[in-house]
Amino acid sequence: MKKFLKRLRRRRQLDRDLEDELRFHLEMKAEETGDASEARRRLGNVTALKEACREMWAFVALESWWMDIRYAFRTLSNNRGFTMVAVAALALGIGVNTAVFSFVKTALSFDPGIERADRVVLVSATDTLGQDELSRSDPDLRNFRSQVKSLVSLAAYRLTPVNWSDNSGLPERYVCVQMSANGFAVIGRQPILGRNFGSEDERADATAVVVLTHRLWQDRYGKDRSIIGRVIRVNEVPRVVIGVMPAGTRFPEDTDLWIPLVSGGVHSGDPGLFGRLADGVTLAAARNEMDTIARRVANKSPDTLKGPIIDLSPVLKMYGLYHARPLLVVVLCAVGFVLLIACANVANLLLARAAVRSREISIRIAIGAGRARIIRQLLVESAVLSFGGGLVGWLLALAGLHWFDASMARFPKPAWFDLSMNTKVFVYLAAISIGTGILFGLAPALQLAKVDVSNAIKNGGHGAAGGMRGRRLSNVLVVFEVTLCVVLLVGAGLMIRSAIKVYGTPIGVNAANVLTMRIELPEAKYPRLDDVISFHKRLKTRIESLPGVEASALTSNLPVYGQMEFTCEVEGVPPTDVGRLPSVGGLVVSRHYFRVMQVRPQRGRVFIDSDEVKGSPGVIVNESFAAKFWPGEDPLGKHLRLVRDQAPRSLLTIIGVIPDIHQDFQDPLTHDPLIYLSYALEPQRSTFIVSRTRVPPTTLVNAFRREVQSLDENLPVYDVRSLEDRITQHHLSIGIFVALFTIFAAIALLLASVGLYGVVAHSVSQRTREIGLRMAVGGTARDIVWLVFGQGLRQVVIGLIIGLIAAFGVTRVLRAVLVDVSPNDPLTFLAVLVVLMLAGTLGCAIPARRAVRVDPVVALRCD
Amino acid sequence: MHGYGIASLIQQVSDEVLRLEEGSLYPALHRLELDGIIDSEWGVSSNNRRAKYYRLTALGRKQLVKEASNWSRLAQAIARVMEMA
Repeated sequence: MKKFLKRLRRRRQLDRDLEDELRFHLEMKAEETGDASEARRRLGNVTALKEACREMWAFVALESWWMDIRYAFRTLSNNRGFTMVAVAALALGIGVNTAVFSFVKTALSFDPGIERADRVVLVSATDTLGQDELSRSDPDLRNFRSQVKSLVSLAAYRLTPVNWSDNSGLPERYVCVQMSANGFAVIGRQPILGRNFGSEDERADATAVVVLTHRLWQDRYGKDRSIIGRVIRVNEVPRVVIGVMPAGTRFPEDTDLWIPLVSGGVHSGDPGLFGRLADGVTLAAARNEMDTIARRVANKSPDTLKGPIIDLSPVLKMYGLYHARPLLVVVLCAVGFVLLIACANVANLLLARAAVRSREISIRIAIGAGRARIIRQLLVESAVLSFGGGLVGWLLALAGLHWFDASMARFPKPAWFDLSMNTKVFVYLAAISIGTGILFGLAPALQLAKVDVSNAIKNGGHGAAGGMRGRRLSNVLVVFEVTLCVVLLVGAGLMIRSAIKVYGTPIGVNAANVLTMRIELPEAKYPRLDDVISFHKRLKTRIESLPGVEASALTSNLPVYGQMEFTCEVEGVPPTDVGRLPSVGGLVVSRHYFRVMQVRPQRGRVFIDSDEVKGSPGVIVNESFAAKFWPGEDPLGKHLRLVRDQAPRSLLTIIGVIPDIHQDFQDPLTHDPLIYLSYALEPQRSTFIVSRTRVPPTTLVNAFRREVQSLDENLPVYDVRSLEDRITQHHLSIGIFVALFTIFAAIALLLASVGLYGVVAHSVSQRTREIGLRMAVGGTARDIVWLVFGQGLRQVVIGLIIGLIAAFGVTRVLRAVLVDVSPNDPLTFLAVLVVLMLAGTLGCAIPARRAVRVDPVVALRCD
Repeated sequence: MHGYGIASLIQQVSDEVLRLEEGSLYPALHRLELDGIIDSEWGVSSNNRRAKYYRLTALGRKQLVKEASNWSRLAQAIARVMEMA
């Protein structure tokens, strides 16, 4: 191969050498015989000889390829219109495919920085009530851990965001993970600096320590190696930095730091369990073994572990959009459809050209070109086209991703989300470019190579190559395009209908001009709830004295961002299933919350100052709550009683009913029954501060931060954003899919209509003589129009019918993202039918107009 | 030895029995060169002309011994068969 390249570089030299060698031979011979022509005669056919040598050097094959490519460029640039349409169609198809592939690849390939991540599994042990009992009980966990053989080790972790402060800069909110000491061994990564946890760090009386991620070390401390041994305040508890992990290690996902999971403490939430599969053990085998052990442990300590169900799942499943994989597959299919339509389109254009080119091809065959050679040449032409399409498509994809990234810039980005064009994407791009070239080029090339030479030359290229078979093929292609287009349109239509429902459903608050932010007051610094209350009171006074702020309030949850759960007894509602009290959703809000959100009570009143007196018995419910528990009754004055830790609390009285505010972040349409508790009754350490402003809310961010930090300089303010921004982001989950499908469908519709137009227009130009003849013998314009439309619309109707049937079966895969719209929504199907018929009519109308204008005299005389 | 020399030599040695079409010699030489059987370099001929000289390589020598014995076996075989006729 190396030699070959060397020869290739020196091929002119080689040619000259051969020339010289032959000249020497001739001269010698001429001297010997004294007759130059005799010498030449004896040498034989010099050209054939040179050819033989060059073929041996293997240039001929290469040169003929090069000639094919040059020839392709020449023909394509001679047909600029055709080339531009074909390249544009391919670029659209390849571009959206590349962009979507790069998105999907990103969404599915997050690297959490774990050694051989595919061997790490998450373990859950749930009892029949769906609660994780195993990890909650320390002795059980130890017992369990010591018996498991199929896992190298079993570790536990729990996510706990923390406040981080030291004297090196502003306090920050970081993602902290409490992890058992063996966790790092399971991850399989060693610290690059210092050490990680030892079992001694797990004891409750041990010195508190912390291990940093590389990112935190770099961003906050500029890779200062003297960080080891420094004392930092984590939630106001001093901790010693003992180690820094290598770049990229961020288990479980977006972690900034790790602290030991100290045994015996009281925690909120159960830790997750994870472990590494022992060598050669499969997931199923490990699951079996652990199930057996869990049962055994359960028999030993029946109080804590009743009938656990052990489940193991690969840790990789929790990253990125893994859970949305079916949906991503749907998107990939949709975008694949677009590419297929583009291919069909270009194939059709090539078929149309084939009719025109049959004469050229016939001549080439007649003077000795082999059919294989002709097919190769035509395929090279397709490859050049698809290469051009790939190039432009790549630029389109880059632009699209850039645009997507830019429009997402104002929303917080998950760690896995890093759109970039890496080698994998390039390989994909190259593969689909070459693949499409063959896909759309092969049929027309085969068709052309079969041309009947003598006929084609005799007929002067009219209608020979295409013939019946060519036309049938291009009709089939149009039907195919329309079918795919219909499926995409139906998908897009359903998504748009969902989006209209979602965006059209009011949240229930006035989100404009509301600034939101979060603070959490750590227990180490604010041990008593009174301290918390007093801090919030002072902060409220300070914030409300800022110019531009109208009112400020606290809430446990923001609209569309979830709710808390309370167990309570409801007056007049007997406990339902086996003594279990109803669990209802609720929020804890301070007295001006409804004023900030501009919500007026439907009945009764909202909280007033006197409700702030500790232990006030007033509670507010929403419309749905009143309707669910006291239908047709007056809810005012009814009673509720919260139950916590099995102990009933004091009786609460309903003082007001407010209209539904949307809290559920998954289901955008249903309203849960909710209660609103006074902040004075249930003070919260972690709260949102919401403020109605008279100026654009984001202009006040720094002022707010200053006010918080003037009260407590170590308290980070985080998640500072306008409420409008949050609601927009919330809508994005459906918005993105709607936008994608709409773009795909729009491209598909465009390509399909252009394809239809192309075929009809071509057939009109081929039938010019026939049309002229019909007119000459008395055909009216109406007959001609019918002729053209009849030919074009037949494909559209067939495609529509097949497409609608296919869509009927296919759209169920969209069910996960559809909101309150049936996958077989008749309105959408109808709309698609109308849109497609319109597009079809348009595609036929232009050629029909041209057909009507055919002058019989000119038409019959031409050629 | 240069191409012309080879052609003349073959003619002389075979007493003009093997008169090859001289042109066909060159592709053959180039083929042998590609296969690494012979080696070439440009030099100056006895009458002061630039000429391409060919020389057997080590591999070529080995090949020659092998092919020569193959050939003589074949020739003998043919001769024996012909004697019977």
